[in-house]
Amino acid sequence: MKRTWSWPGELRRAGVLGINRRNIELVLPHNPRVNFPNVDDKLNTKRLCEQHGIHVPRTLAVIERQGDIQRFAALVTAHAEFVIKPASGCEGRGIIVIAGKRGAHWLTSSDEALSLDDLRYHLSAILSGLYSLGGQDDRAIVEQRILRHPIFSDLAIGGTPDIRIILYRGVPVMAMVRLPTRQSRGRANLHQGAVATAIHLVTGETFGGVHLGRAIATHPDTGAQLAGRRIPSWDIIIASATQLAGVLGLGYVGVDFVLDASGLPVVLEANARPGLAIQVAHGFGLTQRIELIEQHLDDGDDLPRATLLAQLAALA
Amino acid sequence: MNARRISIWVALVLALLGASSALWRAHVRHQIRVTHGDSLWRVRYTVDFYAEKRGARLHLASPLDTAQSRVFRQELYHRGLTPARHMAGTHNTRELDLAADREGALRVTAQFDIHVSPESNWRAWGALDAPAPLTNATPSAAVASALAELRSRAATTNTLVTTLFNFCADEIAEGGAEDPGDADAVLTRKSAPPGGKARAFAALCHAAKIPARLVTGFELDSDDEAHPTVWTEIFLEKKWQPFDPERGLLGALPPNFVPVRREATELAWGTSIRDVKTAFSISELPPPPGVLATGRRTVWEILDLTRLPLETHQVMALILLIPLGALVTALFRTVVGLGTFGTFTPTLLALSFVYADWRTGLFVFAVVMVLGLISRNLIERLKLLVVPRLSVILTLVVLCLAFCISLLDYAHLTPTPQAVLLPMVILTMTIERLFINMEEDGARTALQRFLLTLLVAACCYLVLRWNTVGHFLLAYPEIHLVTIAVLILTGRYTGYRLTELWRFRDLARQP
Repeated sequence: MKRTWSWPGELRRAGVLGINRRNIELVLPHNPRVNFPNVDDKLNTKRLCEQHGIHVPRTLAVIERQGDIQRFAALVTAHAEFVIKPASGCEGRGIIVIAGKRGAHWLTSSDEALSLDDLRYHLSAILSGLYSLGGQDDRAIVEQRILRHPIFSDLAIGGTPDIRIILYRGVPVMAMVRLPTRQSRGRANLHQGAVATAIHLVTGETFGGVHLGRAIATHPDTGAQLAGRRIPSWDIIIASATQLAGVLGLGYVGVDFVLDASGLPVVLEANARPGLAIQVAHGFGLTQRIELIEQHLDDGDDLPRATLLAQLAALA
Repeated sequence: MNARRISIWVALVLALLGASSALWRAHVRHQIRVTHGDSLWRVRYTVDFYAEKRGARLHLASPLDTAQSRVFRQELYHRGLTPARHMAGTHNTRELDLAADREGALRVTAQFDIHVSPESNWRAWGALDAPAPLTNATPSAAVASALAELRSRAATTNTLVTTLFNFCADEIAEGGAEDPGDADAVLTRKSAPPGGKARAFAALCHAAKIPARLVTGFELDSDDEAHPTVWTEIFLEKKWQPFDPERGLLGALPPNFVPVRREATELAWGTSIRDVKTAFSISELPPPPGVLATGRRTVWEILDLTRLPLETHQVMALILLIPLGALVTALFRTVVGLGTFGTFTPTLLALSFVYADWRTGLFVFAVVMVLGLISRNLIERLKLLVVPRLSVILTLVVLCLAFCISLLDYAHLTPTPQAVLLPMVILTMTIERLFINMEEDGARTALQRFLLTLLVAACCYLVLRWNTVGHFLLAYPEIHLVTIAVLILTGRYTGYRLTELWRFRDLARQP
């Protein structure tokens, strides 16, 4: 029988981390405010990644002023596919994925036709801060569109799945892959209806699943099994995420990757307050893993990273 | 010490400070009796009238403060009437404004408790008003001839006032209550009913181009069937000075003379009402605890906001309730886990609903939201830049509010149309957020969030309407140190939010 309610004791037993505890015990003490711009502005994240040899989507243009919008058409003539996103957006708001052109119109990945005027309007909305965190002026990034890896062809509808790694004090704690659905309209945001499935930290194999906050086993649109997929280039993803967490200077951070068609992991963005739905995808909470890391790091034992990851992955 | 410990200590100290200060002051208030020579009085109005229609208005003039007397409490019993939130009135009156909820015979009882202290020096109401410009109206024959005769007796203007006063006080006889009381009749007959001498004196002063006004008030003296009394105020040496020719009082009145209304004599009047019958009673109250001594001023008085003039009480009490509204919102967000549009939107919405009649407020709010969303939808096609677009919506919201109020007034649907002042900027941002949320996350999510915002606003409304607490906070504003303490503890709450017990239900693990 499906539960409609749970008691705090039951959640504690499952090691579930609540938002209040996340904010007070992880975000506030471990993420110095001065390092927030590293993730809040995606251009900063991109620059840091590029400096450290971590792959990111190629930037085609950055639009900073309303005046630049007039030149937008000229900037993208060479590209049939691209992504427009606000530099300081959150929750995937304001992102448009252009998948091709039909006559004078651009087509989004969900097959919506947009005119040049529509795009200009959208760009100006981005610049005036409509999608930015505090509503302050923003910049628009036009970047290369990443085509999805074939492993996800029966798991993602209308968009590119992304892989999120949550790291605590530089150690990967949990990972999941977020799969767009028809309901999420091609976006990989869980609260908009995307599906997530957990990833084993060592093997890179998927297990568990969540859709709209409930545990599921198959993709709601395609019916494909969520568990048992091995994510390609998993070691590279773990290594890049660990490296990036150090560069960003954030003790509790979520790093989002996409796999391009050739299997190369590319960093999309990082998040200083990663959401907690990842726990539902796993079927258990973050707390035990966080505590294990704390124990090892505070004891100062030089446990090899691979052993620590194996110990973490063994916790369920 | 870590942040958690410090927070708990700070909260503890603040709570202790707030509570002990309030308790201590409550104790001290209890001990201080009214100073020797002071007295407390209760003036009670009973007004019976017939309202000819719904929305008929009754105005009551409430006693005014003088340097030696002060209204410290008022109570109003008004079954079948809705009071306007604010004390209205010009500089001449302190008015209570009530609207009838139905047609028919109605009764209002108002009770004013007045503190009289011969030693005190409170802020007197209207003593420094500028006099109205003198008119060039020719005085009546009776007044002109009396003045001409009296002018010959007086050498200067100053002595003229005294001459006029002496004439009215001594040479006009006291007539019966049924005698005609207007100035002409009094001067011709040389006999005046109660109030007639004051009228004659005022008319003579007017004719002599000396600013004068009539004052209706009470002489505080225990009486079950009290009658208002009338005296005159003359503008001399840049302030209004009382003259009572009937009792021969010149330049100053005893402290127990309390003015109620200036320039006019009715203490209860209105529109669309008839058969107004008023009765007054005055009684002396035993000196109760809770009235601060006037003789000894202490710094602690600053903490007691009930000291402030009565007009500010209502607003002050409401302002002091706002932090409780914020506390409600904070609890909803961190303990319950309900998201709202904007942090203080619920509190501010609730605040505006307290000012307005809530049904009217809700109607206007619904109209503004619906029209706002429709127009936002249309504006989307124009592809405007953000700031001009928001400004267009703000303008539409303002227009919408204005026309709603006008419409309600036109249809006589509301007793207090002037008070529906919803927070316009907040409404504009709510419309914009709601629209974007609908576009991005679908109408269902957006509507859900909007309804949650309203739910939290409703809870804030219940708190803000809590007049008793508001007035308690007025006396003990330091209680808000406890509010801060609770907020600090809320800010350190690491437990699950109630919504998380639902959200993570699939993870529950039985022992």
